[in-house]
Amino acid sequence: MGLTRPPRSPERGVGGGWAPTCGGKPERVLLPSTVPADKRLTTHTIEFPYTRTLGPVYSAFLTGMRDGQILGIKSRDGRVLCPPTEWDPNTGEGLETDFVEVGPGGVVTTWAWVTEPTSKHPVDHPFAFALIKLDGADTALLHAVDAGSMDTMQTGMRVTARWKADRVGHITDVEAFVPEAAK
Amino acid sequence: MSSQAAAVIGIGQTKHKKKRDDVSLPGLVREAAQRALDDAELNWTDIDAVVLGKAPDPFEGVMMPELSMADALGANGKPMMRVHTAGSVGGSTALVATHLVQTGVHDRVLTVAYEKQAEGNAQWGLAGGRSGGMGAGGIFAPWMRTYINKSGAPEDIGWKVAVKDRQNACKNPYAHLHLPDISIEKVKESPMLWDPIHFLESCPSSDGAVAMVLTNEAGAKKAPRKPAWVLGTAMRSELGTFPGRDTVRPQAGVECAHMVFDAAGITNPREQIDIAELYVPFSWYEPMWLEGHDIAGPGEGWRMVEDGSTQITGDFPVNPSGGVLSSNPIGASGMLRFAEAALQVRGEAGEHQVADAHVGLAQAYGGAAQYFAMWVVGSSLDAVGARK
Repeated sequence: MGLTRPPRSPERGVGGGWAPTCGGKPERVLLPSTVPADKRLTTHTIEFPYTRTLGPVYSAFLTGMRDGQILGIKSRDGRVLCPPTEWDPNTGEGLETDFVEVGPGGVVTTWAWVTEPTSKHPVDHPFAFALIKLDGADTALLHAVDAGSMDTMQTGMRVTARWKADRVGHITDVEAFVPEAAK
Repeated sequence: MSSQAAAVIGIGQTKHKKKRDDVSLPGLVREAAQRALDDAELNWTDIDAVVLGKAPDPFEGVMMPELSMADALGANGKPMMRVHTAGSVGGSTALVATHLVQTGVHDRVLTVAYEKQAEGNAQWGLAGGRSGGMGAGGIFAPWMRTYINKSGAPEDIGWKVAVKDRQNACKNPYAHLHLPDISIEKVKESPMLWDPIHFLESCPSSDGAVAMVLTNEAGAKKAPRKPAWVLGTAMRSELGTFPGRDTVRPQAGVECAHMVFDAAGITNPREQIDIAELYVPFSWYEPMWLEGHDIAGPGEGWRMVEDGSTQITGDFPVNPSGGVLSSNPIGASGMLRFAEAALQVRGEAGEHQVADAHVGLAQAYGGAAQYFAMWVVGSSLDAVGARK
């Protein structure tokens, strides 16, 4: 038994094969010529939402973001790591929850200018991705710097956090860093 | 192949649970690894290399976790590698670590395997990120049905395995499922998932990790606790589909078993092996692997279940830990078999310890029953010889 494809209205405009359920020879049914070629495709998006368990260190860091506070953590050799890590990068030992508030100001240690931001970027006009060593921290955090123009950007420049009003516990609770002078 | 002896001197695992929401993914892996180091009384700096295994990345949606876990596993500045052979990965990961020791490349290797199933959806991941996959049970069910038809096994064999493994799990504090009221009736009346597999004949979905420290003979002699000696290792693979493939008794599984028995000097597995941890995610796989690895003759595997031989008190205990049917953090499930066999021959399995266990077999399989990994461990280098 072959399946006969039901006639389709031109508006549906969806292409694709139609296989017989069992036995029989598939009957080929041609698309009505009234369907324009650019309507014979459809996109089908399936998204699966993954869960992330944060554990004690990232939970504290992101809770801090929500509260308008940037946290680093003390490593075994006394340095302050920001973003904080769960384990000491040198020895692999567990880090006690010895958090230190850092920033909100800091120094740009390197940067790359984004001329044409896409919808996924944190800033909708040209900006820089930069590594920022926050005051009180010994390592640098990757974030956006909204400096207006590339001419303003300089390694060694001072920047400070521009917080969102509605914060949720996410790295984007800081909208971007901005040149300290401009604040 | 091996130029020197290798032994397990540290074993650690997490409590396996439906959802470990108190730890990050690296935190979960770290917990097992720290316990293995503590067991061996070693520090992170004592480890020369780290070998990590897990199932496909889409299971949690963390791509190349071996890179982001380097500091969680104290691997900065050390060799670190990730192994991947689907569901058998925990076993093959342990074997790669073993071979690094046997070949003299490293003195002390940490090997770790994990899955945090609650972070994603394994069925979705198995289907390559699409909905509507048939799932592992859907692939294996017709092969189990074929086994039943060929062997003439009565239908309660699967139910018996399901009950036995859950009763064993009650003796294992790390097992995910603790079902003290399990019964044949309950298994039989649980919903049919994929005929012939009922809900209670199927593995759970778990968050968990396991780790081991492997070392050479010199390292084992310095170890604070009794080592488990690796007496033989084997890995084999085959295509998942080809004309004439025996899906019930894959040739790769047969050859892998013979290779590991030969390596360990085992000529009569039923007599010379004291305990086996086999990868049994669906109840019928216990008799299928007993036959598929030539431990039992054709049609004899289900009789070993029926007459109680595979019970923890039987003459050939299978999965005294409760097995995959009781805990299934997929990437870790294979290594759990390897670690549990090692615990048994060390005499450190606690309440689920099998009396006088000197020779243990561990097996893991993966994909469409197309990857196999096995080891034989012993309480001494001469454990098999002492059996003869």
